[in-house]
Amino acid sequence: MTSSLGIPRFIIITVPALGVVSLLLLSLGISPLTIAITLARGSVLSWLKFNHVLSVWIPLLLCSCGLLFTFRAGLWNIGIEGQVVCGAIGATLVLRLGNTYLPAAMLLSLSFLSAFLAGGVWGALAGFLKNRGGVNEIFGGLGLNFVAQGAILWFILGPWKREGMASMSGTDLFARELWMWVPRGWRTAPAALILTVTVFLFTAFILSATRFGLKIKAVGLNPKASRLFGINPDLTGFTAMIIGGGLAGLAGAVQVSCVYHRLIPSISSGYGYLALLIVMLANYKVTLTPIICLLFACLTAGSIQLPITLQIDSSLSGVIQGTLVLSGLLAHGLQQRRLLRKGS
Amino acid sequence: MKHITILLQTILAACFLFFSLNSSFGADSKYPFGLLMVGPSNDHGWSQAHFEAGKEMEKIFPGAEMIYIDKVNPADRPGITIPMLVDDLVSKGAKLIIGNSDDMKDGMREASMMHPEINFIHISGDDVITGKSGVNLSNLMGRMTYGKMMAGFTAAMSSQTGKIAYLGPLINAETRRLTAAAYLGARYAWTKIRKKDPADLKFKISWIGFWFNIPGVTSDPTLVAGSFIDSGYDVIISGIDTTEALVVAGQKRKGGKDVLAIPYDYKNGCSSAPEACLGVPYFNWVPGYTRLIGNSMTGKWKQEFLWLSPDWKSINNPKTSPIGFKTGDGFDEKNRKALTDFQASLADGSLKLFTGPLNFQDGTVFLKDKVSATDEQIWNLPQLLEGMGGASK
Amino acid sequence: MIKLTNISKTFGEVRALHKVNLNIYPGTIHGIIGENGAGKSTLMKILTGFIRRSSGNVIYQSKNINLQSPRDAREIGIGMLYQEPLDFPLLTVLDNFMTGGSSFPPSRQRANLSRLCSDFGFDLDPDCRVNQITVGERQQLELLRLIQQGTKILILDEPTSGISEKQQDLLFTALRNLKAGGTAILLVSHKLDEIELLCDDVTVLRHGEVTAYWKRPFDRDAMLLAMFDTVPESKPTAVNYTAVEPVLDFHKVSSGKGRSGLNSVSTTIRAGEVVGLAGVDGSGQSVFLQLAFGLLQPDSGRISRSRESVSPAFLPADRLAEGLVPGLTIREHQILSSNIGPVITSKSGLAKTRRAIKSYNIVGSPETAVKDLSGGNLQRLLLSLIPNDVQLILMENPTRGLDLQSASWTWEQLHNRITPDGTIIFASPDLEELLQQSSRILTFYNGSITLDTPAHATNYRQLSRAVTGEKDPAI
Repeated sequence: MTSSLGIPRFIIITVPALGVVSLLLLSLGISPLTIAITLARGSVLSWLKFNHVLSVWIPLLLCSCGLLFTFRAGLWNIGIEGQVVCGAIGATLVLRLGNTYLPAAMLLSLSFLSAFLAGGVWGALAGFLKNRGGVNEIFGGLGLNFVAQGAILWFILGPWKREGMASMSGTDLFARELWMWVPRGWRTAPAALILTVTVFLFTAFILSATRFGLKIKAVGLNPKASRLFGINPDLTGFTAMIIGGGLAGLAGAVQVSCVYHRLIPSISSGYGYLALLIVMLANYKVTLTPIICLLFACLTAGSIQLPITLQIDSSLSGVIQGTLVLSGLLAHGLQQRRLLRKGS
Repeated sequence: MKHITILLQTILAACFLFFSLNSSFGADSKYPFGLLMVGPSNDHGWSQAHFEAGKEMEKIFPGAEMIYIDKVNPADRPGITIPMLVDDLVSKGAKLIIGNSDDMKDGMREASMMHPEINFIHISGDDVITGKSGVNLSNLMGRMTYGKMMAGFTAAMSSQTGKIAYLGPLINAETRRLTAAAYLGARYAWTKIRKKDPADLKFKISWIGFWFNIPGVTSDPTLVAGSFIDSGYDVIISGIDTTEALVVAGQKRKGGKDVLAIPYDYKNGCSSAPEACLGVPYFNWVPGYTRLIGNSMTGKWKQEFLWLSPDWKSINNPKTSPIGFKTGDGFDEKNRKALTDFQASLADGSLKLFTGPLNFQDGTVFLKDKVSATDEQIWNLPQLLEGMGGASK
Repeated sequence: MIKLTNISKTFGEVRALHKVNLNIYPGTIHGIIGENGAGKSTLMKILTGFIRRSSGNVIYQSKNINLQSPRDAREIGIGMLYQEPLDFPLLTVLDNFMTGGSSFPPSRQRANLSRLCSDFGFDLDPDCRVNQITVGERQQLELLRLIQQGTKILILDEPTSGISEKQQDLLFTALRNLKAGGTAILLVSHKLDEIELLCDDVTVLRHGEVTAYWKRPFDRDAMLLAMFDTVPESKPTAVNYTAVEPVLDFHKVSSGKGRSGLNSVSTTIRAGEVVGLAGVDGSGQSVFLQLAFGLLQPDSGRISRSRESVSPAFLPADRLAEGLVPGLTIREHQILSSNIGPVITSKSGLAKTRRAIKSYNIVGSPETAVKDLSGGNLQRLLLSLIPNDVQLILMENPTRGLDLQSASWTWEQLHNRITPDGTIIFASPDLEELLQQSSRILTFYNGSITLDTPAHATNYRQLSRAVTGEKDPAI
């Protein structure tokens, strides 16, 4: 039953969401087909554009992997956005060290480690607030998101401000050798791609083929019963939060070292929130996650075509994404309710 | 199996259709160019001025075709970077790309290195001077210092309280330069024309954090402008790309307060509250675009750093003057002659406001007596000047 | 006043009520008694409109009425005082008093509240937040609210559990006053003392049917006989080991958890014992078991386990909700309960699972999700999950929902496991099961142990008296 639920549920959520978006577009006098074609052309139909899709896909998938851990443990890690930001700050910290006489490759690796730690600490904080303070991880996470956003602004406008002027456009660019290497004709760093695929495989392995993964699953499904098996649900959830935060932190490091080459205020690009939706649409299934990440990456990268080629007001792409998210959530909620009713 | 074959064929056919459409862009008679705008294309300010100049290019140069995208900033378009957009515009055939914000400096530099065959115009940047980018990138800017001097002059001529506020965007060399120019214009009017004590002139700057309001990220310019008026400032000079200062002044005027504002960037900037508008210093990008795009189309491109002065013969000529100043309905005609004289002495060089003795805000000497600043000194102004209120860094 | 005739209710195959007749008269207190699951709460839910009857009539003022929703019930003046007060803990006493839709201005309501309080001798601070007052006071508040709403038929569900003696006296006085004022009162209770003290008539339910109806005066033995099944002669217990070494020691342990909590319980459980915990649901047995396992920590007192090396096993009453992980398979449960890992392949634990399925007779394959298993299979799975070296097994209602055959098979397995070192502690509402399977029986009443006896030294009669609160019941 579980295995057969995965794909139909994906369809059950996606089809009404697309339907609502299509209706919305039709009511605005815009053909949904044109939009679809434009989006497709803007995302997958050339190597360069596909590279841009990949540069969105990489941080999205890293965030989603983090969320797979926390969702499995039954936790709504809405603080993922702040964990991405903290990861970005952690990575920048290392990349701005200056004269370390360390080779660039070493420094970059260190920056990723530092990002993992920073994101992990932020995730741990949310977990700590939940376990010790009794603060639901949703509220704790939201609060920590604000704190992280404040921290990044402080760094950019304060200690790490640009030479001569503080600017919302971010810190100074890192030295060239600290940019992730990108081959000619590429726009994505192969190292980041390899890292992401590795992280994904690691996530899949831990969650489906280890005792630890099984423990996380048991805690997420029934924390009360898990204690009868000698599992400490608080500790297991805490560990999941640390891993989830760390992986989100890696996404922040990718944004800093591969995409923007500096720290900017909106470094997370909202990928954390987007990843929440992706993992939900994937029905918390490991295998579906990268595929849905790819779809959303196409939508994000392709949506820029709407204003350019169709002269459609640029905010429409935001409306489309918002409508998709909302109707997706609605369909998900309705389905949950039906399942519940069936259950009782 | 048969279904799959049909499906595959359809997809293939569709792909070919797209590619043939794509290639039709590249026809030789056409000259597509891209415009990346930091704000909305209808902001009645900075971005709209660029947008309209771009439209003008399509009329001036047959075959020129603008491909544009607005709101290019990481808050509005998360995950979208300048190099990404440039890749896209280039794939659509663009031969030249304009980026209209100082914020795009890093991205424009990166993109110009990736596409050496394409020409780039970075507005308000200084990579040409610093030598940080290749020969395919030029910088273009108008000498808005003159426009701001006129703004400051008009403000001080009209202020009754002697308290002039400046709604600043973010702090960088450009904005320091412009606020200093506005201050010098105001001080000149206050002391030399109205013959008042310089100590009675208050000139205060509040920085909101960006070129326009981004809720939750910048301070809200509407609130900042309102608090200016509430604390007795009766003229607000706007340094941001949108018209909040003027709108607020218009509302307060309706409420019986005698307040005025000077918007920025765009020649029709007064339209949102004409009666409260003293005038507007604006950019006209047509002359600069015409020169650079014309050179690029005819193969005469060379790297340039253009910092264009107004056409002093007719500063509001849409074809020739890169900087203009249009008075608004709030301007008192009895000050007309003073303004015209002021403009004339700026034009013939007899009046150089960036001339000593001038001190920096921290009291150190900027210019000794009778020494005039060089362009380089003005361009890279490191601090605000003595007499101005507000943060320098 | 209100008359129920031939009320039946079925849930699917299960018959919860069968042809129940009940007459409620104004100015009387009518007691409803019966074992857990006898159908009392179903009957109350029908009266308050929460569920609909399958057949039968409700006659109100000689008209047939249709109770479709709680609103219908409220309109004819039926009000219920629930075991857990249905109030808004974060609002004040006055706010709570005003809920329920009357349109008086708050100042009037404040006056009403203080008048009612003085009428009934209650001492409620109108501005105190409800989460800061005791359960008894919340109950008083709820009662006043119902009276204010014009309740003419008042239903009380176990009203004295969890409240102090003084509050109980106040409540009884209030009920007598209401009765004198013409209100019809329906009192659902386990406690025969209360029934004898308050009620004018009593109806006994057993297995969904009315087994007896009396007017005052009541005969306690007859009531017990009607409530519980026919008393069988107890068979000798199956356990013969002599209790020796202490395994678990409770010293003056108190807890606020559960319906009645636990009040300073002291007892020692020894190796080789099979201890049965008797008592009406929520009298403290479940809290005792959770404390023994370590799921709960005591508020005061000390619990010592003599052999900490191997943790005990705990089989909760709600097997699927508390004992197993519904989304996991049988094999995954077997992996969790043993030390397989850290890497798990599709073969991990397979042999063990196959063995367990075979020897415990579980209907399913290793990859069957446990949520798809039936009650008996769930219980067998839980038993199979107890590691062999576990010495102390704690169980809540081990045979609940099992047919006779499965139940006796379960006990066979359990007794087979018992070694001179092993101990079983189990709670059961079934006195017969307790008598048959235990070597020692602890009876809980209102959070205290009221009777501690070897199983062979007691009988059904004494136990049934003890669980209903009789002090020093005779054999």
